Amino acid sequence: MTAFERIFTPTNIIFMLKGAGYSLLIAICALIGGSVLGLLAAMGKMSKRKIPRTIANVYVEVIRGTPMMLQILLLYLGGPVITKALFHFVYTPNPVLIGTIAVGINSGAYTTELFRSAIQSVDKGQWEAAQTIGLSRIQTLKEIILPQAFKRILPPYINEFIVLIKDSSLLASIGAVELLHSADVLGAKYYNYLLPLLFATVAYLIMTLNISHLARKLERRLAESD
Amino acid sequence: MINAVHISKHFGSIKAVDDCSLHIRKGEVICIIGPSGSGKSTLIRCLHGLEIPDSGELYVNGKKIDFTRDTTKELSHIGFVFQLFNLFPHKTVLENLTLGPIKAGGVPEKDAVETARKLLARVGLTDKENAYPAQLSGGQKQRVAIARALCQSPEVILFDEPTSALDPEMIGEVLNVMKELADDGMTLAVVTHEMGFARKVATRVIFVDNGKIVEEGTPDQIFDNPQSDRLKLFLSQVIHM
Ligand SMILES: Nc1ncnc2c1ncn2[C@@H]1O[C@H](COP(=O)(O)OP(=O)(O)OP(=O)(O)O)[C@@H](O)[C@H]1O
Ligand SMILES: [Mg+2]
Repeated sequence: MTAFERIFTPTNIIFMLKGAGYSLLIAICALIGGSVLGLLAAMGKMSKRKIPRTIANVYVEVIRGTPMMLQILLLYLGGPVITKALFHFVYTPNPVLIGTIAVGINSGAYTTELFRSAIQSVDKGQWEAAQTIGLSRIQTLKEIILPQAFKRILPPYINEFIVLIKDSSLLASIGAVELLHSADVLGAKYYNYLLPLLFATVAYLIMTLNISHLARKLERRLAESD
Repeated sequence: MINAVHISKHFGSIKAVDDCSLHIRKGEVICIIGPSGSGKSTLIRCLHGLEIPDSGELYVNGKKIDFTRDTTKELSHIGFVFQLFNLFPHKTVLENLTLGPIKAGGVPEKDAVETARKLLARVGLTDKENAYPAQLSGGQKQRVAIARALCQSPEVILFDEPTSALDPEMIGEVLNVMKELADDGMTLAVVTHEMGFARKVATRVIFVDNGKIVEEGTPDQIFDNPQSDRLKLFLSQVIHM
């Protein structure tokens, strides 16, 4: 039996595909969580008041100024230490969950700028008109500003999704189930890293190339509707 | 109805509005005139919290407005019409009109639509309810904006140069709508360069220069018997144009 036949059994292929599914899932959840954080931080940055502005700035600068790997390790290893010191409470962190949260927090700092520039690209008069008809700031954002900012956000937003699919591979280091981790596990099992890693390469490419292809199609469709 | 008392507003070192007091009473049609950069826009925007005055007080129906809080709800019964219309481009004409009443006013959609249709008829745009703003002419956009303001059941409508961005042939249709509102007893305060409109429709004309209210009176007093040199100079320049 060749190495190829030994490694790419149906069971192992399903094992790897499951890892790819987790990578996608982690990226989607981190993107959603990160968008909520990013939107909040963008609002904070644009706030007239100092406290929300400061909080948002510190968040963005700290996250963007430190390595993502460090953030993941801090959250994964540091979390239980902190809860033990503060509440005498120890837990075993779930790597996928903690990892997704870490990637989401990281992504939020990058989408902040995205949201902020897209929101600021909408004419100030739109905020003013909404104010004169009695809409709150949140209503204005939801009904007036974001729908208009959407077209501008979409291309870089999809790019962020691709970045997250790739970034989620960092979670292999804390043992979270995802594509790179699955490849690593198989590699160790069969003393052959090359083939599982090549499989992962192809799987990452299939995901990222398809998504950017979809993004270009969507962009074209949006451009036509102008 | 709206009473602004000793309002001032700076932008950096520029005193855009300098200690202005203005009391708008029910049924009045006030035209605010003055040279470019004199602070007319800033003054009228202060009356709707679009600019927050640095000092002075604003009373609406006797109630003092606290600008340290969110004043949006409190001032939503004051209409505002912008020079550049500020319609919502991704919403149809009808949605532009009903958004405020439905989302902010809690009016049931059916009632809001019915009111909006009536008001669209009033500005002569019944056939445009499903159009998007980009499909309208400037004059039509501004009439939609007026109808949108009317949907707030406003006690007074403030206008900031409503015809300045329009092609000459469209100015008339907007001024006509405004004149009809005035004839129906609506309270209006209008920043304008349309001296003909001010003379014919205004009950009171206010001349602003350098952030200050320099002179005010009936159209006859202001246009035929100006007192201050600055107003005389301004009028001579406008008439020469
Ligand atoms: N947001 C702002 N930031 C800085 N300066 C401003 C701002 N808005 C107005 N100003 C300044 O305040 C002064 C008054 O401006 P304002 O727009 O109120 O004048 P106006 O009478 O409406 O002029 P116009 O007839 O040209 O519309 C001007 O010197 C203007 O440059
Ligand atoms: Mg102006």
